[in-house]
Amino acid sequence: MNCKKEAVELMHKYLDGDLTKAEEAGLIQHLETCEDCQKHFHELKRTITWIQSTGQITAPSNFTQNVMAKLPKEKKRVSYMR
Amino acid sequence: MEFMIKEKIKQVKKGDQAAFEDVVAFYQNKIYQHCYRMLGNVHEAEDIAQEAFVRAYVNIHSYDDKRKFSTWLYRIATNLTIDRIRKRKPDYYLDAEIKGADGLDMYSQLETDSPLPEEEVESLELKSYIHHEISELPPKYRTIIILRYLEDFSLKEISDILDIPLGTVKTRIHRGREALRKKLRHV
Repeated sequence: MNCKKEAVELMHKYLDGDLTKAEEAGLIQHLETCEDCQKHFHELKRTITWIQSTGQITAPSNFTQNVMAKLPKEKKRVSYMR
Repeated sequence: MEFMIKEKIKQVKKGDQAAFEDVVAFYQNKIYQHCYRMLGNVHEAEDIAQEAFVRAYVNIHSYDDKRKFSTWLYRIATNLTIDRIRKRKPDYYLDAEIKGADGLDMYSQLETDSPLPEEEVESLELKSYIHHEISELPPKYRTIIILRYLEDFSLKEISDILDIPLGTVKTRIHRGREALRKKLRHV
């Protein structure tokens, strides 16, 4: 298996849940024998874990009120107009 | 929740502005966070996130209720952040190397953003480093990495939000992951 193209491509397909059974078997077999690809695969998975670990951020207080204050003036309700 | 939002949107479409308050309250953290991650700056994030909700309100009649509201809202917010990024540096590209600076690019010349108080102190340094690396990705990769891994959208949903083919989303997420892997592998 060509590491640079084929194996790395399969790793990404794996990460997107797009691998067929046959491709998965091929990738596993390759990873068992190729240390560089093992490392590459590990780094990719670790990268994703790290991205996901950056934590949640909350909006500033009064965010909703500030948005409401910026909205154009309310039109008369349809129900009153009828 | 999706049902509650649908009902609120119906009321907004009938002219009930107050109903929009619940919609904003429900999505404020998500949209603010998305803008912050795209822009890497709290002031711009607040500004653009507010603008996204105002645009959503003003254009509410163009929202098709058969589609997911969140997808539509994220599309508005994403487009606004990308516009803002484009307007920010009209004269040069951030990732262009500076002549004679020995491989330093414009990123290294910019001040890093101050860390957020909400972040925990223990891993603050690593988290802000990772965040910084994400914010250095070209916007087309950054958007997809953020939507996929920080906001948990599927690739199909991302293709809907950005209105680009699924194949393009896949190519970009591959490149984005590889770019980040290279930046983070030595940490």
